[in-house]
Amino acid sequence: MPTVLITGASRGIGLEFARQYGAAGWRVIATCRAPARAEQLQALAHDASSFIVHALDVDDFGRIEALAATLAGEAIDVLINNAAVMSSHEGFGETDYDRWARILHTNLLAPMKMAEAFVEHVAESEHKVIAMITSRMANIPTARPDGLVSYRTSKAALNMLTKIVAGYIEGRGIIAVALSPGWAATDMGLGVLAYHDTAGRAVFPDKAPDELINPVESVRGLRRLIENLTPEQTGAALLYDGQPIP
Amino acid sequence: MDSILISGANRGLGFEFARQYGAEGWRVFGCCRDPATSIELAALAAEAPGRITIHALDVNDHGSIDALSASLSAEPIDVLVNNAGVYHIGERFGAIDYDQWTQVLRTNLFGPMKMAEAFADQVARSMRKVIATLSSGFSSITNARADHIVSYRTSKCAVNMVTKLLADELAARGIIVVALGPGWADTRMGWLSLEAGGNSADMIERAHSITCLRGIIDGLKPADSGRCILYTGADIPR
Repeated sequence: MPTVLITGASRGIGLEFARQYGAAGWRVIATCRAPARAEQLQALAHDASSFIVHALDVDDFGRIEALAATLAGEAIDVLINNAAVMSSHEGFGETDYDRWARILHTNLLAPMKMAEAFVEHVAESEHKVIAMITSRMANIPTARPDGLVSYRTSKAALNMLTKIVAGYIEGRGIIAVALSPGWAATDMGLGVLAYHDTAGRAVFPDKAPDELINPVESVRGLRRLIENLTPEQTGAALLYDGQPIP
Repeated sequence: MDSILISGANRGLGFEFARQYGAEGWRVFGCCRDPATSIELAALAAEAPGRITIHALDVNDHGSIDALSASLSAEPIDVLVNNAGVYHIGERFGAIDYDQWTQVLRTNLFGPMKMAEAFADQVARSMRKVIATLSSGFSSITNARADHIVSYRTSKCAVNMVTKLLADELAARGIIVVALGPGWADTRMGWLSLEAGGNSADMIERAHSITCLRGIIDGLKPADSGRCILYTGADIPR
């Protein structure tokens, strides 16, 4: 029975990963900051045979190390660094640098810490995959000044990090990829649709909620990608439908 | 008279920018953390009092950036050069120093953004209207390898994103925003790469690097805004 570890599994893409892998018969290790409040996740754990929920705030690096120690000796086939935070809208001249630092810590540094802490667990497994959940907002040529500098820079840097990590762990047969779920209808995806700039204009006036991607379809695509990864794809950034992100 | 403000102007490429633009007769605002110990910059300023001036600036201290901008509030600044930066090697997987990484992001990523926010007005009232941030061939994801350089690579990749965002943001004000790759120059920062296994025969002279970058800055058009340009004129691969 293969094992998947997912961070940020209380809702959104993380929760959907947990649901689908559980239904597919995988052993699921789901983490979130407050398991007691993660009702949907607890319901999945209750119904499934091999499903455990651990409390983990990925910004607490001591806690990451403790969890890795708790799980010592256990093979983890797929590590999914999904937990992340979105920017608030900040216009030019309004940049909140303390918040930017926190977003970089969660979206860039924490995935690296998770990779460092769990590389042995992944190396012990059969599938050997470390996945970083990224975003097409990381793509520089198509980037727009939509007030989401901190999120965009964190994901651009994460794609760079994925390429570097891929090189570090290649010798151990582990594949590292950055996977974009697309603009999905999750709390994060729907949340940015409500953003307005300082002039009161909608930041994304041309995007309607019903145009966002169904998280079920997105995660189905991501799981298919993960299942079919080849060593040549290590270090790449891929969209849920398999397209490379330019 | 064209004017240029350079952060980290006390040594390395920053000083070379000051020296070459000073020789061209530009008004040079040479900025560094500790003017009192910046001997070469002081000597340069002494050659052209009032035209080449030294200013205290720590790009890690946003209060310092705001104070400098306030002191230069009426000045037009044709070219803002975000040069101050830090670089580390030997960042091994399994032993990453997260405090160091955080500091590198603060200097190399936040610094240029804060400088742009603080000096956009001065740049906008100039003739040339250029904001140039020093980036690196190391910012290329395509060319990235596992060579124990993590914080620098991620910070420069992120600052390339900032360059594109600022280019679009400031286009309406006529400001051209670019990132510049100086190549592997023979500065103290560059010498560090020798310890990481580089071949010194591949290094270029700092004077040559800056001469090339000056040519690029001189020829910038609005269509170049958002680009990450190597000293050779080619784009840094993404």
